[in-house]
Amino acid sequence: METASDNPASGASPSVLFSRDHKVIAKQFLALGLAFLAVGGFMAMLIRWQMAHPAAPVPLVGRALFGASGGIISPAAYTSLFTMHGTIMIFFAVTPILIGAFGNFCIPLMIGARDMVFPTLNMLSVWTMAAATGTLTASFFVPLGAPQAGWTAYATLSTAVGTPGLGQTLWVVAIYLNGASSVMGAINYITTIIRERAPGMTWLRLPLTVWGFLMTSILNALFVPVLAAGMVLLFFDRVFGTQFFVAGSTIKGGGDPILYQHLFWLFGHPEVYILILPAWGIVSDLLAFFARKPAYGYRVTVGAFVAVTALSSLVYGHHMFTTGMSPLLGESFMVLTMIISVPAVLLFLNWLGTLWRGSIHLDTPMLYCLGLVFTFGVGGLTGLFLADIVADMYLHDTYFVVGHFHLIMAAAVLLAIFAGLTFWFPKMFGRMMNEPLGKLHFWLTIVSLNVVFGGQLVIGYAGMQRRLYDPSVYEFLRPLLPLNQLISRAAFVLGAAQLIFVGNFCWSLLRGRRAPENPWQVGTLEWSIPSPPPHHNFDAIPVVHHGPHELGNPLVLARLGRDWLGQTEAAELAWPARTAAEDAAGGGVETADTAGAPAAPEGTT
Amino acid sequence: MPYGPPRDASLDGHLVDGAFAYLTIATGICFAIVVVVLGIALLFHRRRAGRVAHYTHGDRRRDHVVTLGVAVAMFLGIDAVLAGRSLGHLETRFWSYPDGDPAAVRVEVTARQWAWTFRLAGPDGRFGTRDDVVTLSELHVPAGRPIYLKLHSKDVIHSLYLPAFRTKIDAVPGQTTRLWFQAREPGRYELGCAQHCGVSHYLMRGEMMATPEADWQGWLDRAVQDARLRYDATPDSALGAWDWEQG
Repeated sequence: METASDNPASGASPSVLFSRDHKVIAKQFLALGLAFLAVGGFMAMLIRWQMAHPAAPVPLVGRALFGASGGIISPAAYTSLFTMHGTIMIFFAVTPILIGAFGNFCIPLMIGARDMVFPTLNMLSVWTMAAATGTLTASFFVPLGAPQAGWTAYATLSTAVGTPGLGQTLWVVAIYLNGASSVMGAINYITTIIRERAPGMTWLRLPLTVWGFLMTSILNALFVPVLAAGMVLLFFDRVFGTQFFVAGSTIKGGGDPILYQHLFWLFGHPEVYILILPAWGIVSDLLAFFARKPAYGYRVTVGAFVAVTALSSLVYGHHMFTTGMSPLLGESFMVLTMIISVPAVLLFLNWLGTLWRGSIHLDTPMLYCLGLVFTFGVGGLTGLFLADIVADMYLHDTYFVVGHFHLIMAAAVLLAIFAGLTFWFPKMFGRMMNEPLGKLHFWLTIVSLNVVFGGQLVIGYAGMQRRLYDPSVYEFLRPLLPLNQLISRAAFVLGAAQLIFVGNFCWSLLRGRRAPENPWQVGTLEWSIPSPPPHHNFDAIPVVHHGPHELGNPLVLARLGRDWLGQTEAAELAWPARTAAEDAAGGGVETADTAGAPAAPEGTT
Repeated sequence: MPYGPPRDASLDGHLVDGAFAYLTIATGICFAIVVVVLGIALLFHRRRAGRVAHYTHGDRRRDHVVTLGVAVAMFLGIDAVLAGRSLGHLETRFWSYPDGDPAAVRVEVTARQWAWTFRLAGPDGRFGTRDDVVTLSELHVPAGRPIYLKLHSKDVIHSLYLPAFRTKIDAVPGQTTRLWFQAREPGRYELGCAQHCGVSHYLMRGEMMATPEADWQGWLDRAVQDARLRYDATPDSALGAWDWEQG
């Protein structure tokens, strides 16, 4: 299969479908993820319609989608909708875009590599993801319909006891394949980051984006197999009649349904960090770039990433406080969950430190980042309510949980995706995105999403459970209808606002202004090569001299007349020449990326 | 507050509301500070002609001490206080089950798609006997006495949710879970299912009638009379969490 076009040195454009070029694979993941983001978002609109107007015919699309029930969303259809909304958004939209697309595109370019270490494995990863999406899509068209056990698919509801039919089995297979794709990507990313860094790209000169992807990949490699194990056992229960999870008197089973929750959340809680760590990395870099300052407390931020990664698997039990788990276990998980707030606070403080006394440029990517800082603040703080067992007894399985995790996994992660897309779009496609349209999209999005998810927090505090087809069955929930309708209207605005982004994306792809090599005037490696980069990325493997955020250095400003310094630019450009012995000792770059040392002696400016 | 939780009717619900209020105030203050800092930075540290960002990596020991200090202070001030408070309340109240309390009313809860069944032991104090009182989706309890539930499920996982009592507990097939609470005053309170348990999850609603002690005794006497008439010697619903009469 080794063809001329796959030879990294040839520079020829690779074939689109069977490419092993990380940049092409990134675009494949992006296309797949954006398509499913649209599908999952559309499902959210239908869910919100039902919450605002229970059992009223859906306008415009109702007849086509729910013809059998006269355009009304039936309870069974509603159950499938929230199941598939969660599944699609987490596994088939955010994962391929954030990790598949950005990870593939950014890692080799930012560390100065020509491609991933295992290009064929990379191609296999995207194919496996395609197979997973095909399997999941097929589940809509089988007898008894799409899966209905919720995105968490708790046993025994997800076994044949609760959800018979092929649809749920296909769901299990799709999640397994999706996980296989993630693990392939993770192995590739970890190996590439360890082995393929350009000369001089030390660990503490890596862009924080790459640190985020590294930590995410480690978590993926460790914990997605746990989910896969759960899926295999569930598959056996469904298809071969085993009883790993089956219990109860309806079917006399000797299994343990709680075991499934342990397997699921041992993956599922790290999954939250799997999705948020790349977002944190991207935002940590972009805040520095657009505040024109070095990222504040780089080493603390890296330490926070590592600490969160190490702790992430030790806190998962907070999803299971109401299962009647042993008191000692519950209390341990509560305290561990609270401890993980320390690295999160450190990270947050560093973001504020980066912005403080900066020269903040409010370009569109920066707006998305600032929006993320705000929503992640609300989302993170509300997590504390759910970490506390006493408060969780009331809030568990209510809309408070829904609002909390949407603020983080939907709002913050999607804002990071928008920030990343607008930021790297010029490098990916060689054209600039439209700024006014981007700003309009940002403002509509940030206002409406805070109404939606903030409103869900209030609804949850008022006691409304998740996943109710019609809340008005409960008397105490009936007064909430006006608030639910407000949330739904805001959700429709949020949905419509995304059309602006789609329009901007498509228009910019075809008609956008040609992008220069370095439109944002920053120093990381991907901005030192043409937009879009050639097939082999770097004509010569770069040699790295600085950290990623050498911005606003007064010495550079004096010598070069600009406020940024490329990671590859030799130290001699900016600093008094050093002796060969000092360079050999690695001292030549000390000023730029070592803590405690100011950029240069005061006298030299 | 126009959109608040239902009025708390339980003995210990105020502890839950207290935790929520403490967290709301503490995190609210933190978030307000963040917004102010963010606002000042965005207002005064914006790009202007000739403005150069303050050059610092924030990686000196002093910077580290400040960020770590703030984070640890927040942890001690919010998380640790909360954890200490909650651990105490769990030990002394929520997880201090009335096992030896003769006043406690013992109930066996059976969950299934999509209804709740409540079984009371009757005058003999034993489950699985002729005078057991079994009710569907309606739980009758006396106000002012501890109510001690043991739950299990016949099919999938459900979660018994009492919003006016600020509590919930899962009912799990093959296992027994337990919950206790006490009604402060008589009333009619909604109960429901909080865990997605299938297509009709939303219909799994019930009610709890908390009545004065004398009224409850009267209800129980009448119910026992009915129960003797309809006794089925082969119930399949219970796991035997309580002391069941064998045979």
